[in-house]
Amino acid sequence: MNSTMLAGSSPGMPAPSGEPSGILVGMQNIGKTYPNGTIAVQNVNLLAGEREFLCFVGPSGCGKSTIFNMIAGLTDHTSGELAVLGTTPKDARKQNEIAFVFQEHTLLPWSKLIDNVTMPLTLRGVSKKERIQEGERVLELVGLKDYMKVLPRQLSGGMKMRVSIARALISRPKLLLMDEPFGALDEITRQTLQDELLNIWCSDRKMTVLFITHNVFEAVYLSTRVVVMTPRPGKVADIVDIEAPFPRTDDFRSSPEFGGYVHAVNESLKH
Amino acid sequence: MEKLVVSVNGIPEQGGVEATSVQKLEPAPQKRKAGASSGSPLRKFATHIAPPLIVLILFLGFWELAIRLADVKPYLFPKPSDIVKAAAENGHNLLVSVRTTIVEAVLGFAFSVILGVAFAIVLALSKTVERSVYPYAIILQTIPIVAVAPIIVIWFGAGMNAIVMIAFLIAFFPILSNTLIGLNSTEANMKNLFYLYNATKWQTIWKLRIPAALPYILAGMKISCSLSVVGAIVGEYIAGIGGLQGGLGYAITVASTRLQTAYLFACGLSAAVMGIVFFLLINALSNRLLRSWHDSAING
Ligand SMILES: Nc1ncnc2c1ncn2[C@@H]1O[C@H](COP(=O)(O)OP(=O)(O)OP(=O)(O)O)[C@@H](O)[C@H]1O
Ligand SMILES: [Mg+2]
Repeated sequence: MNSTMLAGSSPGMPAPSGEPSGILVGMQNIGKTYPNGTIAVQNVNLLAGEREFLCFVGPSGCGKSTIFNMIAGLTDHTSGELAVLGTTPKDARKQNEIAFVFQEHTLLPWSKLIDNVTMPLTLRGVSKKERIQEGERVLELVGLKDYMKVLPRQLSGGMKMRVSIARALISRPKLLLMDEPFGALDEITRQTLQDELLNIWCSDRKMTVLFITHNVFEAVYLSTRVVVMTPRPGKVADIVDIEAPFPRTDDFRSSPEFGGYVHAVNESLKH
Repeated sequence: MEKLVVSVNGIPEQGGVEATSVQKLEPAPQKRKAGASSGSPLRKFATHIAPPLIVLILFLGFWELAIRLADVKPYLFPKPSDIVKAAAENGHNLLVSVRTTIVEAVLGFAFSVILGVAFAIVLALSKTVERSVYPYAIILQTIPIVAVAPIIVIWFGAGMNAIVMIAFLIAFFPILSNTLIGLNSTEANMKNLFYLYNATKWQTIWKLRIPAALPYILAGMKISCSLSVVGAIVGEYIAGIGGLQGGLGYAITVASTRLQTAYLFACGLSAAVMGIVFFLLINALSNRLLRSWHDSAING
């Protein structure tokens, strides 16, 4: 069903990969009206392909979180067609290929870091040995391997966010949804985490990241494409391709090219 | 006695914010102990233990002196020395009474914790069940225990069973309502996360909602442990077994009919001490369980 549905042209069409299997999220004329009558999003068309890093920017209340919640199956769309991993969001969730990071770290305060990061595996009934092994792997990825036995409250905000990311990475997801993950962090921590996240993503480029942010600089720095949304009811106003190569560094942050992209995104936001 | 129950239950009911109710319940000495843990023992004694101790000594001295000077008869208003003497003379009886009451209160309390938590989990599992059953739980709890007690005596027979039942009933509701509030106050984002990772309903209950409700459950236990002592004594008044096995409630009735006022005071004080010790034990348990991760135990 989704292959025909996704065949149509849409503003979000990625570089010619052609194969329908390369599409992780397909939205066609997606709309969401909440029971109280709020029209959160309307006519959203977007394709997210394999190995993409898609950043969503848009004014507050334009429905970015709503889109993520629909992809995650937390809420249903009220019109249009939505395919995630080639199936419905609810079935896609069962494949254990999707992971989430919220703005709050959502760590269990009573569980040690190792238990927190392995929580998705515990819920799936994975053996303890394998859990520990994977837990060590992801904590190593975010540089917190020495903190395995520590409780979350002993960590700084940035460290908690790292743990939250580690937990999302533990099941080697194909699709990673991040809703303003760095929104509550200071600028320096934020940039460090951006670099770390990009490094992890670049190292194998096996997953697609959908990333919500209010920060245009962050969006340009991180993404392969920036999705700019209109005020409520949210639509896709524009999609800006960021063609700079990976890995990206501070040099990219200070390049004229970067400024050009930021300008382009800002122009689309004013729109 | 009933007023006490209702008002105490009012705290978790209205507030919902458990941290404040926990704080309110914290007895001053315990709280200070946690706060001053970094200071030296001597300094802690001087700043935290000595002042209330001095007040107590002054109070007892004044009491002793005033009654002595006014020459009031001991059966009307005993002096502290009379109370100590009466307690020492009836030491064995007092000990037996205290032991009986402790057993009844602890049993009643244990049942209230087990059943209160279990019942709350059942209610929390289904909104429909909660909505249809919880109102009746509230109504049931407003019926004065003194009015229900005779029925309990008819059903369970005078003695231990009825007394434990009364202690249980009085302690049950704070546990139930607190646990239910705790189970229902799990952060939405946390619940979403469990849902997104395909957690089953039971996994969500065991690994998320019950641990998150633990501070609330413990707050309920702090209220209920003292109430169970009250319940046991009320039960002994109404359904008390006499003779050698009688509890404090029974000893108090006997002492009052015989005008053994000093001994009556001794029994009453024993009951108070029992309630305080019980509370401190639960409070210590609470601090121990929550110490590492919950604000009420860390900042307390
Ligand atoms: N459960 C809900 N019921 C009714 N309306 C809702 C609900 N959730 C969100 N909305 C409304 O839908 C609109 C979009 O909300 P959403 O949270 O998706 O915005 P957002 O783009 O993520 O905003 P922000 O950048 O501030 O996080 C808002 O106007 C919001 O008030
Ligand atoms: Mg949002």
